[in-house]
Amino acid sequence: MNKLVYWYHKLGSPPTFYRFAGVLRPWCLAIALILAVIGLYGGLYLAPADYQQGDAYRIIFIHVPSAWMSLFIYGVMAVAALVAVVWRMKMAEVIAMQSAPIGAAFTFITLCTGSLWGKPMWGTWWTWDARLTSELVLLFIYLGIIGLFHAFEDRRHGARAACFLILVGVVNLPIVHYSVVWWNTLHQGTTVRIFGKSNITTSMLWPLLVMMFSTKFYYAASLFGRARADLLDLESGKAWVKQIASDEEARS
Amino acid sequence: MSGARVSSACAAVLRRDLLLAWRRRGDMALPVLYALIVATLFPFALGPEAQLLARIAGGVVLVTVLLAMLLAFDGLFRPDLEDGSLEQLMLAPQPLPLLLAMKIAAHWLTTALPLMVIAPLMAGMYHLPWPAMKVLLLALLIATPLLSLLGAVLVALTAGTRRSGMLLALMLLPLCVPVVIFAAGAVTAAQQGLPWVAPIAWLGAALALALVLAPLACAAALRIALDA
Repeated sequence: MNKLVYWYHKLGSPPTFYRFAGVLRPWCLAIALILAVIGLYGGLYLAPADYQQGDAYRIIFIHVPSAWMSLFIYGVMAVAALVAVVWRMKMAEVIAMQSAPIGAAFTFITLCTGSLWGKPMWGTWWTWDARLTSELVLLFIYLGIIGLFHAFEDRRHGARAACFLILVGVVNLPIVHYSVVWWNTLHQGTTVRIFGKSNITTSMLWPLLVMMFSTKFYYAASLFGRARADLLDLESGKAWVKQIASDEEARS
Repeated sequence: MSGARVSSACAAVLRRDLLLAWRRRGDMALPVLYALIVATLFPFALGPEAQLLARIAGGVVLVTVLLAMLLAFDGLFRPDLEDGSLEQLMLAPQPLPLLLAMKIAAHWLTTALPLMVIAPLMAGMYHLPWPAMKVLLLALLIATPLLSLLGAVLVALTAGTRRSGMLLALMLLPLCVPVVIFAAGAVTAAQQGLPWVAPIAWLGAALALALVLAPLACAAALRIALDA
């Protein structure tokens, strides 16, 4: 069999994934922290102040990576949900469900930092701009998924239902975005724009990219940790979990 | 199974649901009353100024109708789930999406249609001029079946859970944002004397899509939610 296919199938087994995630998690967390330190040093200290926005623009180094992550995690969840609905793979359900709170957190950070940035720049902390509104709707989608997952008594049952909702959201999200753009342009165009691509210089760009990688690794580390805890809960009673429990007991 | 059997099964489901709704006419009046109460409260909160009320009329009527429908969604599958007839429906040899489409149609006829009847009354209370009122009714005629179809998918997903009311509202909000935008956009455009056909056409396109896809999604969701 193809080595990659073999590896993929093996990761679908909870004990293998548990061990694999346990090995990778500290590395991911360490890389995320190191990259965050480098990125924030570059962004908050080395990068020059913006000629128009002064130092206030520096929130971009948190805001934009979070916004990217809020969509990236939804993409990961969508792929995992498709796998879970089609092949009923247990690991895919765990990945999708454990990603949801992280994605919701990044969406919330995006909204918070966005309003903190908007207050000095636009003079208001909230405007019904297309991007802001879509991000808010995305937060509601995340919360709906988490809520549906927890509404069921049986966890796998809830995970399957929530995975279906994720797929509904994939269809819905672009529709929401474009209808909000349409809605906003009907009334009036926004007079303030987030500065264009040409305005960003390399000294501001590289910390942004470093932060982007940092958040990706942080997501991986957080997901691995959550998935491991969830697997122990889900598979409690299975032999491999009992083995781990007795090992832990012997060590203490 | 021949084609005639499918159509007769569909007719039986439709007749049964309509008959059940008719036997409990009082329940049918509740969403209507709720919509009227909500619509009555807005002028108290915002002041009776006619110009302001006319400007917000379309949006208020739409949101009120949407909230009232949300209130009624619980009755779509819950009674059938409790007396076990939903399982019978799922075991029936006829395709489940078609039977569910009939149930959704019956639900629309018994909850959304009464709301549409009082919509002109509510719009009149807000001094909406007649040309815009026509557009509002047209928008409601397309938007309410669309909401029924979209809502049915989510109600099916929450069918197996106990506390679903607030959750349903949370899940439905992202789905109904585009519907509200286009429906209210059409009314606003008509009020300003602008062409209003485009948003109505968008709504119609979405309705055509939902008519085909939503019963299929609803059946899939129901199977996911109920297999234990």
